[in-house]
Amino acid sequence: MAFPSTRALDGLDVSIPGGVTGLVGANGAGKTTLISLVLGLLTPTAGSISVLGLDPTQSGAELRARIGYGPERNVFPDDLRAYDFVRHLAEVKGLPRDEARSRASDSLYLVGLGEERFRALGTMSTGQRQRVKLAQAIAADPHLIVLDEPTDGLDPVQRDEMLNIIVQVNRNFGIDVMLSSHVLEEVERVCDHVVALAEGRLVAQGSMVELAGASGGIELELVEIADRPSSVDDVAARLVAAGAGVRRNGATLSIVGFADDELFDLAARSVAESGARIRRLGRHRRSLDDIFADDSVTSGAERGSP
Amino acid sequence: MKVPARGDAQIVERGFQRYDGRRSGVSGAIRSVSWESIRATLGLGRPARNKIFPVIAVVIAYLPAVVFIGIAVLIPGDILEPEEVADYPGYYGFIILAIVLFAALVAPEVLVSDRRNGMLAMYLSTPLDRRTYLVAKAVAVAAMLGLVTLLPPVLMLIGYSVENSGPDGLGSWLATLGRIVLSGIAISAALAAVSMAASSLTDRRAFAAIGIVLLLFATPILAAALIEGADLSPYWRVIDISTMPFELVFRIFGDPGNFPELATWAVLTGNLVWTIGGIAVVWWRYSKLVIAR
Repeated sequence: MAFPSTRALDGLDVSIPGGVTGLVGANGAGKTTLISLVLGLLTPTAGSISVLGLDPTQSGAELRARIGYGPERNVFPDDLRAYDFVRHLAEVKGLPRDEARSRASDSLYLVGLGEERFRALGTMSTGQRQRVKLAQAIAADPHLIVLDEPTDGLDPVQRDEMLNIIVQVNRNFGIDVMLSSHVLEEVERVCDHVVALAEGRLVAQGSMVELAGASGGIELELVEIADRPSSVDDVAARLVAAGAGVRRNGATLSIVGFADDELFDLAARSVAESGARIRRLGRHRRSLDDIFADDSVTSGAERGSP
Repeated sequence: MKVPARGDAQIVERGFQRYDGRRSGVSGAIRSVSWESIRATLGLGRPARNKIFPVIAVVIAYLPAVVFIGIAVLIPGDILEPEEVADYPGYYGFIILAIVLFAALVAPEVLVSDRRNGMLAMYLSTPLDRRTYLVAKAVAVAAMLGLVTLLPPVLMLIGYSVENSGPDGLGSWLATLGRIVLSGIAISAALAAVSMAASSLTDRRAFAAIGIVLLLFATPILAAALIEGADLSPYWRVIDISTMPFELVFRIFGDPGNFPELATWAVLTGNLVWTIGGIAVVWWRYSKLVIAR
């Protein structure tokens, strides 16, 4: 995708299955651009895109009737009541008037705004507006909902509630969800799949089990012994000498480089030989933070190379 | 007390469910957006303050028709002089203020608001695209303008007819109705296109409204300056957007109008240029808009 002054999502090759998919990345990573391409709001300058088996540039109207969209922007007509807003957009998505009316109420009840549905949008809190956005996205019964930063501006309790509703929408009604977020923890919590972007590039994609659930080596926490202050350094040196990669954080060593079983043997041997004492030894579960950290090291190295 | 038989009992499932019924597609989306735009402009479903301005404009537009019908009712037909009641093309002279108010109110409300409050991106995530969205909005603006350009003369025609002051015979009556409809469409189309063009160029409703009013007041001054000051051809009158639609109405009714020196083809061309030009500006502006969220 090329804008007048920049290229976004250059060479991106992504396949997103059903379920709840998280689109993660910092601000400016290209999340909103990808969402706009999915919706057909932007046309790719090169390459192709297929959503629900349809090309947004060719079958935009048909496709968008099957997609619900919750934008990041939190500005809506202040004078309009939540119910009228949801009902109207359900009608625009093609539902008959009576159906749109009843589904507007049902959707607002589902997101917890049943009693508040006749309040003007301008009088609602940020959390309530986020729920209204979700309600209008699902009201016309889409196959897929695309939510741009659905927890933006919410406090922790509201965020938990919103994420629970999103998961419920997928699990109970079979509506696939693509949500963008820059909060990695919430993506790890609710998403089945993840697409990680940084500066318009694909950092990683796959199921959460493959990406974040995979082993990231082992983690060894040692007891710091007052009369042998160099014991942690000694263990680390033995591990490096054996060919393992070691990252030290205080008395905790993150060790990578071999299969987990070999790492456990190596760690146990190094500790025994150095006379150190183990406080904790276990597998290190790789997180999305690690994925982005690895990418920043890699891309930094690439940028630094001649 | 009669207890219902067990077999009669039903569980009626409430709450969110899947929908696999009929969907109306793009035409339904256009209809819904047009209707909602009309509701927003009239303040329907909104607080009372949103209704004040449209109500004033509607009253100004319909009051003369009611007064003329009243005159026709109170004064017997045999002593009622034709100049005591307005003819159909002349009626617009009485309601020009309402038309200007509506033109300055409607298009900014219908177009600018959507860009400011994020509804444009919402609409473009539905079956609508930029072209069909603009069609929906143009229908809304033209329909709203028709409320003050088309219906008051129709009301007058009906009132006159009831009082036996209307056209003689069904054919003549239908011909008059046809001319009224054509006139309303001509005025609505030209003013809708121009006011939408002005509204497409700014994200501030007030600026758009002021721009429309300035355009409607500045072009007659400019035309007069060119014709009388610079001694140019009287055909420069076609640049006067506040005159051309109403001049066309006179010609539709077979009247030479206020500027008989202008040929009817020139008047028609002037209206078409304003209408098509307005549409071109709106399309150019919206085709350039980057709507990413």
